[in-house]
Amino acid sequence: MTVLGQLRVELSRLKDIDRVLVAAVVPLMVIGVLSIYSALAGKGGVALDMALKQSAWCALGAVAFAAAFAFGHERALKYGYWIYGGVLLSLVAVLVAGYTAKGATSWFDFGAFRFQPSEPAKLSLSIVLAVFLCRYPPKTLVNISGAILLSSLVVVPVLLQPDLGGVVVYAFMIFVALVLAGMPRKYILLLAGVALLSLPLGWSMLKEYQKLRMLVFLNPSIDPLGAGYNVIQSRIAVGAGGFFGKGFLQGTQSRLHFLPEAHTDFVFSVFSEEFGFAGASLVLALFAILLWRMLSTSAKSGDPRARILVEAVSAWIWFQLFENIAMAVGIAPVTGLALPFVSYGGSSMVSLGAALGLVQSIHVSSRPQYE
Amino acid sequence: MRIMPGIRRSLLTRLSIWRILVMLSLVLLLAVLFRLQVLQADLYVNLAARNRLRLVRMAPARGRVLDANGTVLATNVQTFDLMVYPLDLRNRETAAEVSRFLKARGIPLDEGLMLARVTKEYTVPYRAVTLLPNLTLAQLSSLVSAPDFPGQLIPVPVWRRVYPAGPLVAHVMGYVGEVTREELQRYAPGDYRGGDFVGKGGIEEYYEGLLRGTPGEEALEVDARGRKVKRVAYLEPQRGEDLQLALDLGAQRLASELMAGRAGAVFAMDVHNGDVKVLFSSPGFDANPLAWGISGREWDELVRDPLRPMLNRVIAGTYPPASTFKVVPAFAALAENAVTRSTTFTCTGGMRVGNRLFRCWKREGGHGPVNVVTGLRDSCDVFFYQAGLRVGIDKLVKWASAFGVGEPTGIDLPGEARGNVAGPAWKLERFREKWYPGDTANYSIGQGFLLLTPIQLARIYAAIANGGYLVTPRLLEGAEEGVSARLPEKPLPIVRQGVEEAVLRGTGRRAGEYGVSVAGKTGTAQNPHGDDHAWFVGYAPVENPRYVAVALVEAGLHGSSAAGPVVGELLGYLCKFD
Repeated sequence: MTVLGQLRVELSRLKDIDRVLVAAVVPLMVIGVLSIYSALAGKGGVALDMALKQSAWCALGAVAFAAAFAFGHERALKYGYWIYGGVLLSLVAVLVAGYTAKGATSWFDFGAFRFQPSEPAKLSLSIVLAVFLCRYPPKTLVNISGAILLSSLVVVPVLLQPDLGGVVVYAFMIFVALVLAGMPRKYILLLAGVALLSLPLGWSMLKEYQKLRMLVFLNPSIDPLGAGYNVIQSRIAVGAGGFFGKGFLQGTQSRLHFLPEAHTDFVFSVFSEEFGFAGASLVLALFAILLWRMLSTSAKSGDPRARILVEAVSAWIWFQLFENIAMAVGIAPVTGLALPFVSYGGSSMVSLGAALGLVQSIHVSSRPQYE
Repeated sequence: MRIMPGIRRSLLTRLSIWRILVMLSLVLLLAVLFRLQVLQADLYVNLAARNRLRLVRMAPARGRVLDANGTVLATNVQTFDLMVYPLDLRNRETAAEVSRFLKARGIPLDEGLMLARVTKEYTVPYRAVTLLPNLTLAQLSSLVSAPDFPGQLIPVPVWRRVYPAGPLVAHVMGYVGEVTREELQRYAPGDYRGGDFVGKGGIEEYYEGLLRGTPGEEALEVDARGRKVKRVAYLEPQRGEDLQLALDLGAQRLASELMAGRAGAVFAMDVHNGDVKVLFSSPGFDANPLAWGISGREWDELVRDPLRPMLNRVIAGTYPPASTFKVVPAFAALAENAVTRSTTFTCTGGMRVGNRLFRCWKREGGHGPVNVVTGLRDSCDVFFYQAGLRVGIDKLVKWASAFGVGEPTGIDLPGEARGNVAGPAWKLERFREKWYPGDTANYSIGQGFLLLTPIQLARIYAAIANGGYLVTPRLLEGAEEGVSARLPEKPLPIVRQGVEEAVLRGTGRRAGEYGVSVAGKTGTAQNPHGDDHAWFVGYAPVENPRYVAVALVEAGLHGSSAAGPVVGELLGYLCKFD
């Protein structure tokens, strides 16, 4: 069969994907585009450009979805280590030749756009964890250490960028994968203990402004115009939305530039100010549907590797969404993690699209063959 | 791996727990949102309404630009703008108060005019707009110290760019202006905001990142009527870096005097490291009014001027190189062993190629026996027809490309043209026509489709003078030196002898009358729109070449009389004050 013919067969399986999940993701993307436009509307001509760019990223995310789906999770798992190797190389390359913004060397600069390899690394890490943990179940200390060592290959370069927010996501994904792959309870406690004990070490690695952010999180009023400013202003934005919100483009917080990074980190605040509790609950509901359906796919799959893959992806999406929204309402420190599918960003959108593509490949293959 | 049913069940239990935790966490967020947006909504709505911070962006002072001797080419003067938030002026009472205050001080800005001015700049209600621009410190302080100074007016120091040398360096410097929509897209989001100034053209644009500095911001707390209560935060703008250029303003001035009243380009640089000493395009324009803002009509006049003063002819004007190009076929013929030092052709004033007669410029009697050195000296066309046909067009194009024809030189200025190496492939694509031997003949004397910028031509002669290195011209002193792979050395002494002879005894004699030994070549380029363009390009001193210079005089008729003296006098100046 020709390659094209084969591709057509693979893509014809798209009719069996989880439509409920798709129906949850698409509105999230639309909310993202609208909020990005609104967040930048006060800054001159950039608003429309960025909204259009984000729409392009959404389209590219859909392409990544279809591509990953056609490639299939079987192949992804088979070539898991190779993909991982490629991602590691790009992470090292970005340290050497990357573009530096906001103090972190995290991007490849292609002129028209920038690419952040630590985003696809999240998907690649999920795949490699799935392969490794099924071959070497985390029952013994050796296997657990092996999994941690293997994953730290992506953690270290990202730590060097430095992108601590990214590192925390990786760490959480590794932890969830280990637990859900059956790590004995005593080792769960051990790992949690080690994490707690290493907190002081982690603290000493933080930059001054990051320490300040942590302290500010504990008490925003210690620095109301500096680091605490973001938290306070974001809370005001969310709270001022009320039940139904102020209406599209009517938010004053972002328009007055009280909200920093309004189109990336604080996009949820912009949306909540303009669409209120009604809109914010819609976002939460959409994420709930998304995660619920993903984990259903995981539970139904007969392939343990596929299960861990989906679980790790769910940990990634959950952690970022929880941290981002919690930050916007002031119950978590500011880390600069993007809200999946909503915040501005191409690398994230494409990686998430590909991740969902693999999840759907698993979903389709674990459907009963007869109905 | 085989999984026992028991283990599988325990894994599924953990998955269910994870699932439930995820859902619970979302419920927790929902609860927090409910509290914030429903239970405490009034509190936060109030807070937002009372959010009486006004942020005012403070433009940084751009770095100064100096010439090689420290003369200032671009600097800043401080003036002050009085800014206002449009939403404050919506209040009639406030508007009346402001207008009364200004009128009492002789500034006739009634409410209507004020609103018109604000509307003109208006984008969103939450961005300060300029009400009164360009106040001096004395004017400002007399306003601000008045007891009834309206607190809604925000004095902001601004830096206006001035170019003391005016039109002399306009094409080198470019100018600054308010950032446009396209530029906002070009730079990283967030770096620029509408109303910011950005370099346009020239050094101002190329080194924008170094010159600009970092904008600051002032956060003011205001009362319910928008009057300043106090400054709550202030982020000082960071001054941009000063830049020193290799350019010599004295030589630049000489070039402008020599070109007075004529359109064209003059360029000179160090043959070894590419330090640009003179870069002058005529006619010029004064960048000062552009930096302060000119009317649309004035702008239209500037860009519609048929003499095109905004065009930097040195790097963006492309012209047929004519006879100045002959060094390239000479070099190619020697490098490919198609001719040697002693190969002689006989010029009878023309020759037949195909069924067409190609003339030498000296139609009556011709030059008689000519070799490569006398060919260059007398600029004998027949010699180069013969040599070019022997070498063949592919090799000619190869060597022209090796000399950088068809590629930008990489000078640190935006908007450089590539010119056109115009070989058979290009002709086929452009005209769907094959290449004839007659085209090769034309090519060999620098006519036909070939197009070069003056700076490309200077670079070719620099390579001949410096032993075969193609240098990258640079304006910024100490910018990275760019030197290409070396061209073969063997033909160079012969070509050099040819262009030395051209000034000593040949067509370029007029360039050698300024107290320094010059080697160079004249050129007269056919101009379909009028009189021929005059070229001269050369280097000096001959014994130990230091500078290369080129002059192009549009419609100057003869290279020897119109352009030669310009280059000669300029090289004399540069070598004398070295």
